Amino acid sequence: MLPALTMLITLAVASGFIGALSGLGGGMFIVPVLVILAHVPMQVAVGASLMSVVATSAGASVAFVRDGWTNLRVAIVLECATVTGALVGAYMAGMISAPLLELLFAVVMLQSAYFSLRKRDTDSIPSSDKLCRRLGLGGSIPDEAGRPSRYGVRNLPGGAALMLAAGVMSGLLGIGSGALKVIAMDQVMHLPLKVSSATSNFMIGVTAGAGAIVFLARGDVAPMIAAPVALGVTIGAVAGSKLLPYARVPWLRAGFAGILLIVAAEMGWRAMSGV
Amino acid sequence: MMSSNFANVMTANLKSIPMSSMPASGDEEDRILRVWTPMLLRSVLAISVTLTSAGIVEAVLHWPLGHAGAPIADLGRTGVDHLPWRAFLEAAVRGDATATATLGLMALTLVPLVRVAFCLLLFLKQRNRIFAAFTAYVLAGLTIGIMLGRIG
Repeated sequence: MLPALTMLITLAVASGFIGALSGLGGGMFIVPVLVILAHVPMQVAVGASLMSVVATSAGASVAFVRDGWTNLRVAIVLECATVTGALVGAYMAGMISAPLLELLFAVVMLQSAYFSLRKRDTDSIPSSDKLCRRLGLGGSIPDEAGRPSRYGVRNLPGGAALMLAAGVMSGLLGIGSGALKVIAMDQVMHLPLKVSSATSNFMIGVTAGAGAIVFLARGDVAPMIAAPVALGVTIGAVAGSKLLPYARVPWLRAGFAGILLIVAAEMGWRAMSGV
Repeated sequence: MMSSNFANVMTANLKSIPMSSMPASGDEEDRILRVWTPMLLRSVLAISVTLTSAGIVEAVLHWPLGHAGAPIADLGRTGVDHLPWRAFLEAAVRGDATATATLGLMALTLVPLVRVAFCLLLFLKQRNRIFAAFTAYVLAGLTIGIMLGRIG
């Protein structure tokens, strides 16, 4: 049992490390690692990945909330859509066949690889649209001189629709869907980059938590796989984030996007050939 | 009729919200967000890490070493599948590795619940009914997950 456990923790630490360096999250790597290398059933791999996303997000979000970058109102409003999607996705994961889940995962990996290479929109807007203004979703962040600078929020329905999709993907595939969440807030709702990243991180744990609860209650979380994976991915993610300031991020992102493409092809092939 | 009354109430509430973002209650909001929330999150996380680590250590100490080629997938064949709650807690107290690790994982799922519960507390203190309702919906969703899992 010890060799298997050691291998599992090693794979989990590596996945968390790569996930943090690439900005794609540990879930994107641990699921294919468990399925392809460790021959774990897809549903069990998804359950383990959800637990690891909750664990990783739990530690990170403490800092973000404390530092004031998280827009709690935006997070809660959008979380209504994301949690709904996550519950639907997690419920459906119990009914969908493993090959179809693997195929869906391969498609999502391709999408994540594309979004990770795309240039991020760095422009924020000074004022909100009518609905967002009435809900008081705007906020303020310090500018370069340290003075508070107000930002606006727009297109809440568009952002909510994307969040619903992100939630379904999270519950179905065991990933945080952080990339989709950041795009929804960054480019659809025009939040400043740092606010959208911090708010997304706050939301990822709640979304994954919704899916994890369904998986746990259904008995699809194998404790002796999920527990080492959650610990290992968290350790790897912390190590990766410490190294990130010294890393050449654009090169890393390109490299990991390439890895994602290869793994997506493998997952897709497995799904099509019923391996 | 009920739906149009609800729509009227929602519209009236929206109109009563000032144009600027909602006034923070200053020190109290700060204390909830920057002191109590991180403190409680860290405590729950520490409990979860302790229990899951204890479960792993118990498994290593009490389970057979197995041959060198033992597959990882075999680890997934163990579980406390649908034990009644009492039997499950008794197993964890006895030091059953799987039950202890499962308890740790359950504690981990409390982290997002606690996070959202504190947001609800914050909005209730601000007397912000709209956002309290949004937060209550999220909290209800997290709780419904347990029932969904049982019937799924």
